[in-house]
Amino acid sequence: MPSSPTAQRAERSARPTLTGFSRAASLLRREDLLATLDRAVRRKVTVISAPPGSGKTSLLRTWSDRSSKDRRVGFVTVPHDQQDAQQFWLAVLDAIRQPAARADSRSRTAPPAFDGDAMVDTIVSELAEQAPVFVLIIDDVHELRSVDAFRQLGHLLAILPSSARVVLSSRRDPPIRLHQLRLADEVAEIRAGDLQFSEHDTRELLAASEISLSDGGAAALHRRTEGWAAGLRLAVISLSGHPEPERFVDEFSGTDRAIGEYLMAEMLERQPSEVQRMLLRTSLVERLNGELADLLADRSGSEQILLELEDANAFVVSLDAERTWFRYHQLLADFLRLELRRTLAGEIPELHRNAAHWFADHGEVVEAVRHTLAAGDWPDAARLLADHLFSLTLDGQEGAIDVLLRSFPDGASADDPELALARAAVELAQGRLEEAAARLALAGSHVQSMPPARRQRVVVAVASLRLALARRSGQFTEVMEQVNLLDASITHESSEPVAMGTELRGVALMNLGIIETWSGRFEDAERHLSEGAALAQKIGRPYLEVTCRAYQAFPSTLVSLTNARERGRHALALAERYGWDDRPVLAPALGALAAIALWMGEFEEGERFLRRGWEVVHADIDPAVAVLLHMVTGMLHSGRGEHQPALEALTAAMQAQSLLTGVHILAPVIAEWLACLGMPDEARATLDEFSTGHEWMDAIDLGRAAISLAEGDPATALAVLGDVHRMMPPLSFPAYALVEAHVLAGLAHLALGHRSAAAAAAEAALAAAEPDRLIFPFAMYRAAELLDALPNHETAHGALLADIVDLLRGAPAPSTERARLSQPEELSPSELRVLRYLPTNLTRPEISGELYVSINTVNTHIRSIYSKLGVRDRSSAVQRARQLRLLSTGLSRTSPK
Amino acid sequence: MGTALGLYTIRIKGRLGATALSAFPSMVPQLNANETVLTGWLEDRSALFGVLAQIEALDLQLSSSDGCERKPDHLN
Repeated sequence: MPSSPTAQRAERSARPTLTGFSRAASLLRREDLLATLDRAVRRKVTVISAPPGSGKTSLLRTWSDRSSKDRRVGFVTVPHDQQDAQQFWLAVLDAIRQPAARADSRSRTAPPAFDGDAMVDTIVSELAEQAPVFVLIIDDVHELRSVDAFRQLGHLLAILPSSARVVLSSRRDPPIRLHQLRLADEVAEIRAGDLQFSEHDTRELLAASEISLSDGGAAALHRRTEGWAAGLRLAVISLSGHPEPERFVDEFSGTDRAIGEYLMAEMLERQPSEVQRMLLRTSLVERLNGELADLLADRSGSEQILLELEDANAFVVSLDAERTWFRYHQLLADFLRLELRRTLAGEIPELHRNAAHWFADHGEVVEAVRHTLAAGDWPDAARLLADHLFSLTLDGQEGAIDVLLRSFPDGASADDPELALARAAVELAQGRLEEAAARLALAGSHVQSMPPARRQRVVVAVASLRLALARRSGQFTEVMEQVNLLDASITHESSEPVAMGTELRGVALMNLGIIETWSGRFEDAERHLSEGAALAQKIGRPYLEVTCRAYQAFPSTLVSLTNARERGRHALALAERYGWDDRPVLAPALGALAAIALWMGEFEEGERFLRRGWEVVHADIDPAVAVLLHMVTGMLHSGRGEHQPALEALTAAMQAQSLLTGVHILAPVIAEWLACLGMPDEARATLDEFSTGHEWMDAIDLGRAAISLAEGDPATALAVLGDVHRMMPPLSFPAYALVEAHVLAGLAHLALGHRSAAAAAAEAALAAAEPDRLIFPFAMYRAAELLDALPNHETAHGALLADIVDLLRGAPAPSTERARLSQPEELSPSELRVLRYLPTNLTRPEISGELYVSINTVNTHIRSIYSKLGVRDRSSAVQRARQLRLLSTGLSRTSPK
Repeated sequence: MGTALGLYTIRIKGRLGATALSAFPSMVPQLNANETVLTGWLEDRSALFGVLAQIEALDLQLSSSDGCERKPDHLN
């Protein structure tokens, strides 16, 4: 929300106060009621149920403002006619996270794919962290219109942590089943009777407001209002500075008019005409600030009036700590709107239009559309909605769009192309792809009949929704086409800046980058995703940024494994910062992190990431992501020697691939592993679908070699692999594929009885694996025998070999990173390099030869290693290093057969 | 509990002024000594609930509401 200019605030005290208001009339502290509430919140749930104007909100605010060391309070006010469960729960979450602010459950940034039930779990866990007692107050519960939200609220109450309390305040009993809690004596109730002013309270209120009234007058006032808080407050406002208070009470007592209306009319009557005018003309917005009030009332200085009305407790409530945003008490708002409709009906559409423009100018599209609709200009509303569709979907406001769509007149929307677009966005967000496609087709068919000024925007909007739809359905080629179309459209319109241009560009870059990633066009993907993420950051679209970054966690020829891992973690951390750590968009990052961990033999960590990956996608999974997750599942199983589940997972991956119109970068790898696991026919069928001369021939060659090997034809395998050395870095071949190539070549040599060639291949595989510790291929191909080809396990990669041997035996591989982090004094990378040679039979001069450093350097490192590990000789250093999991055991033993 | 067109009479405590009456455009008001009687055709239950909600929102006091719903045809 925009904050008010400070200058305006500073002038405030210089202005005269309004007649009839005095600060003394501020809230009467009703100690007995506050104590009642204190007692009530000892129970888990408090329900305050009483008619409007009973003083529920005043009580809750006074109570929550009282400082108490024993509790923290979060305050949520449900706005008028809240139909959106998502907005409601986000406000609740905000209130828990920042209890200082009063939350108003209205437009805020939310990710798409909102899941209310998951949200309740998040809230419960956040509540459980609050200490010692956290009281969540939800005011105006009767304004909540979402059945889902009530169901979820009921669930929340049922599983509330012991340190949490919930206070529900409503005009009527909320539709939540409380009998279980009632049986457990965990519900306290405060009703209209408890809130009524006693005659004594009435006298105190009058005294506090400096109104002198005879005892009889006070009694009459109390009798007539029946202790109704709003009635007494209205009466006090009218009585302040009234020349003849007794006469006012007489007239009031004698009238047979409905008291609320009578008092409301009296209160208004006593305001200067300019204040009346401002109140009436601003009554149709749900909340307002000084600037908006000035615009609607066509005057200046409205903020001052609002502040004074609030100070006078005259049914105006500020919504923020700075007191720049206000709303009217619902009872006042209702009467003002009626009065406005009765007296100024002709001006109402124009007032709505003015409000709509103001909200649109201030980026509050939902409010702008609402007021445009209220003005009766539904085609304009449809246009406004279509123009901001992307902005809204990028903030995850599909729920709000859905609510707005329902406010359009019935006949209006059937074949309106712009509304069809909005509907398509909602369907897409809810995973109803076919319906979304139908809506898009409808919108597209109307394009030619549109006025040229609108046509271009609609074309752009259709293209970008098609893009999102195509990506979700795995239609790679379609995505490329749509991006080109979109690109042309954006450029075409460069003369007239499109409001959604930047955002559309971000979305296009994201979708393009995702498809390029899956298609293995890493250079383009890298460029587009980086650009998309940077753009998203610049325009303040964190969700878009997270999505782009989640797809940058794949290792490739451009991105090293370590780098990819860092990127994946960065994406997760960024998502966590916004509370999006359970969003489907994280699936690629989680899948990549799982795969990386598995490549490095860290199976437990891999399994953790993989499990999270499956958790975040729920049922809402696009086929390209499914390929990844199934493949990693297959990796995990096969790495653990679980043959059948591994086959099943890889088969599922191939099935997901068949839903794509393009070829997934992982498809050849999956085929290769299927062959390795003994399904060469399926592998061959998959590879046959690729055209020859494909850009990733190398990956396909690996698959073919694996098939030949599986079919007992090692010579062909070797022929396919050709000169493995052509794949040496820095050629276009990622390190993990290189390791596989060497392992495959080694196995082929072994099968042909070429033992020394096999040994050379094994050594080459270890050399390729060493920098990133890529030990997975050895596990995948159960390569113990190949490693045995190394005479006496002589290798420059002793530590790595030991880890692999461990892995093949089923012992957990060391998690080097974790061990290093827990080290009190870390070994430097060079020391670690030397340390890895200590378990071998190599002498110090031999180690220096292997590492291309001087013998003195090696000696220095070894001394330093001894001192950091607190040991005095080589064998205890090795022992200590193993305990710290800096090495693994097993090197000096003979290898398993 | 299907929808039923019906003639309803709603009695509210106190005499409503022009402002409050404007909240019930579909009802015909009759101002008695100490009450307001609103009479009108309400199309269905949701229309009735709309009127009752309006009464609640304005904190008007309902004395009674009577409907003479038309019986479903198959009962005739």
